[in-house]
Amino acid sequence: MAFDLVVNGTAHRVDADPQTPLLWVIRDHLGLTGTKFSCGIGQCGACTVHVDGRAIRSCSVPASTAVGKPILTIEGVSPDGSHPIQMAWKEFDAPQCGYCQSGMIMAALALLHDRSRPTDAEIDARVTNACRCGTYHRVRQAIHLAADLMRK
Amino acid sequence: MSSDVSRREFLATVAAAHGAFVLGFWMPDKTQAQTPLAKPSGAVWYEDPATPEVNAWIVVAPDETVTIRIAQTELGQGVWTSNAMMVAEELQCDWTKVRPQYASANRDAREKAPEWTLKVPGNGATDPTSGGEPTFGNRDRTGVAGIPDSLYRRMRTNAASSVKDGRYYLQLAGAEARERLLLAAAGLWSVPVTELTAKDSVITHGPSGRTTTYGRVAERAAQTPHPHPETIRIKSPDQWTLMGTERRNLDVPLKVTGQTVYGIDVRLPGMKWAAVKACPVYGGDVKRYDFEAIRTMPGVRSAVQFPIPDPSCTRGRVFSGGVAVIADTWYQAKTAVDRMPVEWTIPPENAAVNTAMMRDALAASIAQPGQVRVDQGDVAAGFARAAKIVEATYSTPYLARARMEPGNATVLVTNDRVDIWIGDQSPQETRFSASKITGVPEENVYIHLCHLGGGYGRNGNGPQAEQAIMIANQMRGTPVHMLWTREEDFIGTTYRAMGMARLKAGLDAEGWPIALEVRTCMQRDGFGPEASFDVTSRYHVPNYRYSTHTTKFHIPVGTRRGVGQAAHDFYRESFMNELAHAAGKDPYQYRRELIARTTLPYKADMLKALDMAAEMSGWGTPLPNGKVRSIALEERGAEGNGMATISAMVHTVSVSREGKVRLERVDIAHDTGFGLVNPLSVKKQLEGQIAWFYNDAMLQATTIADGHVVENNYNRFPISRMADDPPEINIRFFPTGHWLIGMGHDRATSIQSAIGDAIFQITGKRFRDLPYGKHDLTWI
Repeated sequence: MAFDLVVNGTAHRVDADPQTPLLWVIRDHLGLTGTKFSCGIGQCGACTVHVDGRAIRSCSVPASTAVGKPILTIEGVSPDGSHPIQMAWKEFDAPQCGYCQSGMIMAALALLHDRSRPTDAEIDARVTNACRCGTYHRVRQAIHLAADLMRK
Repeated sequence: MSSDVSRREFLATVAAAHGAFVLGFWMPDKTQAQTPLAKPSGAVWYEDPATPEVNAWIVVAPDETVTIRIAQTELGQGVWTSNAMMVAEELQCDWTKVRPQYASANRDAREKAPEWTLKVPGNGATDPTSGGEPTFGNRDRTGVAGIPDSLYRRMRTNAASSVKDGRYYLQLAGAEARERLLLAAAGLWSVPVTELTAKDSVITHGPSGRTTTYGRVAERAAQTPHPHPETIRIKSPDQWTLMGTERRNLDVPLKVTGQTVYGIDVRLPGMKWAAVKACPVYGGDVKRYDFEAIRTMPGVRSAVQFPIPDPSCTRGRVFSGGVAVIADTWYQAKTAVDRMPVEWTIPPENAAVNTAMMRDALAASIAQPGQVRVDQGDVAAGFARAAKIVEATYSTPYLARARMEPGNATVLVTNDRVDIWIGDQSPQETRFSASKITGVPEENVYIHLCHLGGGYGRNGNGPQAEQAIMIANQMRGTPVHMLWTREEDFIGTTYRAMGMARLKAGLDAEGWPIALEVRTCMQRDGFGPEASFDVTSRYHVPNYRYSTHTTKFHIPVGTRRGVGQAAHDFYRESFMNELAHAAGKDPYQYRRELIARTTLPYKADMLKALDMAAEMSGWGTPLPNGKVRSIALEERGAEGNGMATISAMVHTVSVSREGKVRLERVDIAHDTGFGLVNPLSVKKQLEGQIAWFYNDAMLQATTIADGHVVENNYNRFPISRMADDPPEINIRFFPTGHWLIGMGHDRATSIQSAIGDAIFQITGKRFRDLPYGKHDLTWI
């Protein structure tokens, strides 16, 4: 059954079971592989994308629920890494293996859209993605820098 | 595609559909990962005829791009950058033009290493002009027990050894290429090579001031063999200009845009997806499955059974047999395999195993005599004279690595060739497995390495490649992408072995230990006792006995970050805290005195580390109620004159009355040896290991019920989050007179002993079994 999704500003017709998790539609039907699969149960956040401006864990949401709502993935943040949040991530050399970082950036970006000057407590509460390499120390600093850059 | 379509036709089809490609070298670049396979016509397959290589590690293009081939796998540790730095240091090229590329494991099967890379001059680990102390004496073609003499030497990525083992020959490869580029320019200008200098890819003729670039002479250099490569010497650390400087990792820009290609991101034309169910009990296999029940589900193509992988492909470990469903998309395959009825044949003795009985077995083994590793002085007499006896038994659970990218591999088997796209920590072993399973010779196995979504020792232990190859081997001609669910990933892996230790000390009237008996017990083959990590000899005790005790269980165990040493460090440093407390002495000064009493070669470095960490942390200054400091020594190799890494850490920990533990601050004093290659990577590795061992200390445990692993997703095997990470981390380096033995897996192990010590100091409760999170930590 076909349905329409708007991802990173582009409309796509998707021929898939609408109950397919949004993650797999993004990865396998639309070919946007920056969004990652890891736990499949909404625990780790590697699959975080924005739907209607909110950070959601796309492995646990049927694609049908995103119909008619704008979807933003890591590929839509900027094509060349020039978004302030990506610049801040590069400044601190934040990623290690990098596998969780797309989701981490999407979670942080949603926070920064709501709070232009987040406190550490707000970061702790809102960026709850798992990173097995333990990049948290740099990610936290990068979020603060991104907040500064985005306010400019 | 049916299996009778020839490989030539397949390649032709792919080429027609996707244009030109390069085969053999695999770069984690999106365009290439998702458009495969073709051979530039008329060239040796690994060579681009337009830009011949200077040597097997280095290609300089006319546009000055320097391609450096990396034989280790990038899994977050920064090897993509640090290996390139070691080559570029000697090459003296423009660092901004460097582009890493994975070395070919296929070419490694076909070519031997140049003779000049095989011998290391100098006097070992304490000679700054030498190659250090790599295990060059051991030659093992799979790279497990030594460094092979195949072209790229050691392609394994493990044991925190990429810099330690590769530095000498990587520097040498850069130096050889530099000398050839200089010779090429000298030949071009008909001047003596001694009149030429090289810097940032520019060659200058001193007397005339004439210049040229690497890009302009590279083709000539490719045809200019060095007459005496065995005379080339690498730079000593005081001559480094690139090594030792902080360099951001070269792959980070792709990691913030989602463009990095991990194994899971590989897409090939005609590719099918495989979702797997393996028997949850190791040693189990498929009795029957009912494909008819799912045959008509959307996208489903077939089901393929696979046996328990041949243990010769998985370093002796026994995993499980299982069945894969093949479908057009992975989610279709996964949905179908979840619904397909499968019955297992499970060895009853394995199904009877659970954590409680394993604990009992460890306790029983530790009560036996065991294998005595060290017996100094007279321990019994020491105990007899002691004023006070302190005894403690510690235990550590099985632990998974839980890297975030689930196991996967994409495999295309044809009758004369195997291609594998995979993030792999041991491509030389995977090459062997592919050959063994398919019958295709290793020379025709092509491994296209991808970046890894975490490793921590994971990918050198099977059986993800083996499963995928066994499945694809039954579907010759069709590229098959096998991807595990998170739950399968917890089955298809080895574990850090469960362990136990009994330590008993006799203290004299002043509280100093005069006798010590240490017994450790771990599962056999668990990189515990066999690795003979020395538990206590860093602290002087005149009468000392150390024995190891083993058990045998069916859980496959292997090299997880920290290996057995992480548990041993926990036992040793926890016990030192208990002894200091029993003696009524400051744990920092207590350690200091016991190290000072030794005659160990690196004693001064250990004292320096302790003093520096204590000073950094404000040791001894008051803290509010509910917050304390704990100190520990961390070292590897400190007993001898070989390579070693020495650090000390002070952890500031709070425990609320409600029992909430917070690692507030970490102060680290860390040895640089003769020099760190990329200090930025070292800092990141230290920060990462803080999170790693916080997880070990507080959160994680793998338990066994009815023979299978219970914690098979992150809801039951938790991973720390931002809120758990210490707000303050301070790292200070100090130089020492030896080469480092690595620092990627056994630092910050002291978080385990420190949190236990903090809990005791604050709550008065002493817990000796991990993780602490399972205990009641409240206090009033």
